Amino acid sequence: MLVVENTKCECGHQNSVGTVLCESCGKPLLPSEAEGADTPLEMRYDGVARRSQKSNPNVIDRVWNFFSSVKIAIYLIVITFLTSMLGTIYPQENTFVNNFEPAVYYEETYGLPGKIYYMLGLSHTYESWWFIGLLVMIGTSLVICSLDRVLPLYRALSKQQIRKHPQFIHRQKTVYKQTVEGDPEQWAEQFGAQLKRKGYRIHRDGSSLLAEKNRFSRWGPYINHIGLILFLLAILARSLPGFQMDSYITIPDGDTVQISGTNYYVKNEKFIVEFYKDDELPETLKGTARAKLFKTQAVLYECTSNCNDPLKQPELTEVKQHDIIVNDPLKYKGLKLYQFDFDMTPRLNAVHPMLIDKQTGKSYGPFDLPMKDSAPKHELGPFTLELYANFMEFALDSNGKPTTLSRDPVAPAFIFTVKGPGLAAEGEPYMYFPMQKDKVKFAQDVINGALAEKIEIKVEGMENVEFSEASTYLNVRMDRALPYVWIGAVFSMVGLLMGSYWQHRRIWLRIDDGDLSLGAHTNKNWYGMRSDVAGALKKIGITVDPKALDNGGNNA
Amino acid sequence: MSLVEFSSDVFLVAFFLYCFAFMFYVIAVAGKKWSNRKPADHERRWGKIAFITSSLGLAAHLAFFFTRWAGSGQIPTSNMYEFMTFLGMSIMMAYTIIHAIYRKPLLGMFALPLTVIIVSYAAVFPSDVQPLIPALTSNWLKIHVTTAALGEAFFAVGFAAGLMYLLRVVDFKQTSKEARRSQFWVEFTLYSLVLIVGFIIAVFGFRGAGYEAHFIQEKSEIDIKGIEQTTTEKVAYALPPIVKPYNSQTVEMDSFLGMEKPLLEAPYWMNGVNAGRKLNTVVWSVIAGSILYGLLRLAFRKRLGAVIHPAMEGIDPEDLDEISYRAIAIGFPIFTLGALIFAMIWAEKAWGRFWGWDPKEVWALITWLYYSAYLHFRLSRGWQGLRSSWLAVIGFVIVLFTLIGVNLIIAGLHSYSGA
Amino acid sequence: MGKSRKTVQIVILAAVLIIGGYAIGSTLFASDSGGALKAGSEPPPFTLADLNGGTKALSDYQGKAVVVNFWGTFCPPCVKEMPEFERQYAKWKDQGLVILAINLSEDTLTVNNFVRQFDLNYPILRDVNRKTERSYGLRSYPTTFFIGPDGKIMEITVGGMTEQEIDDRIERLLQL
Repeated sequence: MLVVENTKCECGHQNSVGTVLCESCGKPLLPSEAEGADTPLEMRYDGVARRSQKSNPNVIDRVWNFFSSVKIAIYLIVITFLTSMLGTIYPQENTFVNNFEPAVYYEETYGLPGKIYYMLGLSHTYESWWFIGLLVMIGTSLVICSLDRVLPLYRALSKQQIRKHPQFIHRQKTVYKQTVEGDPEQWAEQFGAQLKRKGYRIHRDGSSLLAEKNRFSRWGPYINHIGLILFLLAILARSLPGFQMDSYITIPDGDTVQISGTNYYVKNEKFIVEFYKDDELPETLKGTARAKLFKTQAVLYECTSNCNDPLKQPELTEVKQHDIIVNDPLKYKGLKLYQFDFDMTPRLNAVHPMLIDKQTGKSYGPFDLPMKDSAPKHELGPFTLELYANFMEFALDSNGKPTTLSRDPVAPAFIFTVKGPGLAAEGEPYMYFPMQKDKVKFAQDVINGALAEKIEIKVEGMENVEFSEASTYLNVRMDRALPYVWIGAVFSMVGLLMGSYWQHRRIWLRIDDGDLSLGAHTNKNWYGMRSDVAGALKKIGITVDPKALDNGGNNA
Repeated sequence: MSLVEFSSDVFLVAFFLYCFAFMFYVIAVAGKKWSNRKPADHERRWGKIAFITSSLGLAAHLAFFFTRWAGSGQIPTSNMYEFMTFLGMSIMMAYTIIHAIYRKPLLGMFALPLTVIIVSYAAVFPSDVQPLIPALTSNWLKIHVTTAALGEAFFAVGFAAGLMYLLRVVDFKQTSKEARRSQFWVEFTLYSLVLIVGFIIAVFGFRGAGYEAHFIQEKSEIDIKGIEQTTTEKVAYALPPIVKPYNSQTVEMDSFLGMEKPLLEAPYWMNGVNAGRKLNTVVWSVIAGSILYGLLRLAFRKRLGAVIHPAMEGIDPEDLDEISYRAIAIGFPIFTLGALIFAMIWAEKAWGRFWGWDPKEVWALITWLYYSAYLHFRLSRGWQGLRSSWLAVIGFVIVLFTLIGVNLIIAGLHSYSGA
Repeated sequence: MGKSRKTVQIVILAAVLIIGGYAIGSTLFASDSGGALKAGSEPPPFTLADLNGGTKALSDYQGKAVVVNFWGTFCPPCVKEMPEFERQYAKWKDQGLVILAINLSEDTLTVNNFVRQFDLNYPILRDVNRKTERSYGLRSYPTTFFIGPDGKIMEITVGGMTEQEIDDRIERLLQL
């Protein structure tokens, strides 16, 4: 090993460059910690050399040193939370689901500030390269800072010397000096026994003593950091293809829809929305529509055959049935379906009308007439109805020809060729509008002319009408990185608890010619440290105000 | 009497006990000089009385919480009134825990008024039990809200101790540039607290007088099919409208000191009628708070900081620094668990994503990053005493913004609890 | 020890560079595409029924210039384009042009009635439940995808075209 400075301690121990306190006896080594000064020592990482402190750095070392600095880490944290604030000024782009033109939206809604906000890219702050860059740098800093400190600290704590240099003891933050009478070894043993009852582990070397407790809490921050790194990596993994799925599907009541990109189909048996009744609401909210329940009775199917054959119906096998409500999604093998939204626009699915022969007064049917893909021919007693054409949203085009304005059954119409007694042999056209409003609007009876006098197609009663009352919007999610996110969170939390609620406390003691020197150190909670020392002293007959043990200096 | 009514009565009892406890703490601290007994005995005696009173207050508050829970069938943390009372209760719990560790009565002199302010702020909001909307019926939500509030309560205690530290060490007699700057900011902090008190007084004053004003705002929008849709929004003001909502009409308005119609109108970029109402509330807080502050200054004839500073003498500033730090160090893991981890679990259950960069989530993250910076500054950069106390004070401002400011200013998924 | 330490440093910094580079890089590229199809991307595969009881898949026409047109009877510009595509098909089919006209999930009778009015020689395909339409990310109709012999999308045209515009594009497509 290349040694530039003389780092050999008077106790004979060879320390590495950058060591603040001798790794063995604890004597201050740096000239700045000059002898004679009696301010408390800098005890961070037990005064060992951090890995990054090297005498002649090259480029890699410089990068390493940059990220190993806690100062830089704090700056990164500060910059991150300051820039995060910017992203909350206006809504972010990802809060809008569809048909959204950000370039127009921000300027229209918020004027010039909105336009600037959008142009600066703040409308997607958290997906921007610089924000992700900050997170990457924080991650790097977490790895390098921890690695640079945990290894030397581990080394220092695993080979502690019991007998420390007097200067080391006298310059602790909690110090007690006193002349003791009698056998020093016996004194130390008595004192040690008291500390043992407080949960300290006692190491003795003649009249010297080292009492230590809760060393594990020193590893808390590092476990926390490992958790955070796992968490960040898990989040990053979500951007890999196939790790995540996030899509929306709309299912009218009774329909079955394929979840695109998968082999699964979902059926919405029925969507139910309930509101609170007035007697359940307090005075101020009476008369308002306060939602009580959104529920989709869903069935999940898996396609077992004919999945990709467009000529055949896919064969579906039910795999799960679940009532999806908010806070209770349908879950199946990592796939999750969440209640997202709904639409109460009803949709006509099918009618079961009767054919009435006005001449005889007899009626035939009912027959099944779905709005889409109806059977081409219906035999009703002596009559035959052949479907000639159908329209989903009936209208007349500029040439007066019937046409459809959309593919949704908003204003459905059917043209049948009717054959039967008293009708032309080649059949007569009959136009049928299942909805009463369209029947009136387009004057069905006028169009049908003379035929309207002879027959009528008519639905009797609502039980012969099938419609979807509502459509449910489901959010389809899959997130394979999720378990790793939780593992990261658990690590982080465990580390945090270890580091926060337990403190590593150490007490060094030596007796030279009847002069007792006692120094104590903790990484947190000096109040507790002092009361431990004062308590133990009291038990062996020395009363001392805990506050009097304070040697000044920092309260880290 | 129903359980919910009973709980409201107990709540009132808790509130008065807190007020008395605060007075006893003031007597304990400020009375050391005028009492003819030994100061140490006096402090111990009155400190004990005050602590017992505040503990009784907490007991009554807990009784309120559980009876309301039992009476309404849902945990009372689901609207702003319930959440703020819960936060007040959490601060008292955090205070009691810290008191049990350090046994410094003086902390109560700051923690109690903070609780009183927060609890009275809660009473500004409608206090009736509102049945839950579907998104809020989740056990994880209950756990998330309560744990997060407890963490924030420890930050509040850290704030109280930090502010005490500042009042203890900032010398109001010095005139150096740096001292003046510290004096200014300490005074500003106190002024801000007075503003909140002013707001509460204004609200209760006008509520007591039964003041009301109503506005409507018509908005026309052209929907996807090209049809113009007109929506009408209504808003009721409980404070006289200095500022009315943008582009709105007065439906009816009580006159106030000869003010028959609104003085000003909210700017165009304040969307919706509630933005106007909130702006009006802020204007009123500043007016009422400034009047109150002016009266206090007139009464004492010196800055509030200079009034409190002498009472702090004899307290070891290092103790305050340690208490402030300790409270934050205890609160940090609780906050992490409640405001981030449990929040993520709930978000995952409710929306299928554990994180969505919703403003409330972002601000919880900002709070967390802020306090982790605080801990690193303290542990690794040796920021202690003055700097650390300032950080503790600013930190609580961030906490309050996350809890209240985000709801007032930025609407997001959490806007259910909006003010 | 000095050597192993150096290795550790290099390994960690390299990992940071790769992982961090990926993270930042993916934000840069994701920001402008957003997953939607654009010129240069590969068209999603499909297998659909035609009107003669058979099926046609996009993969059947590898190495050929393919025009994929989404149309519906309810969309007047789509209707107007149908005979124009027919004339273009007649003009270019000898040079290997393929036109696939995908109907927007309408029912059988509607499609048959419509097609009967024209004499169309290129295949009419039937989408079901808007599946193909969704995978192509359609937002309005008609939308036409011009796919080159290299299997990549040359151009996406949203909205109706004049016959001249169709002609120009096919000419360019065949020159690829």
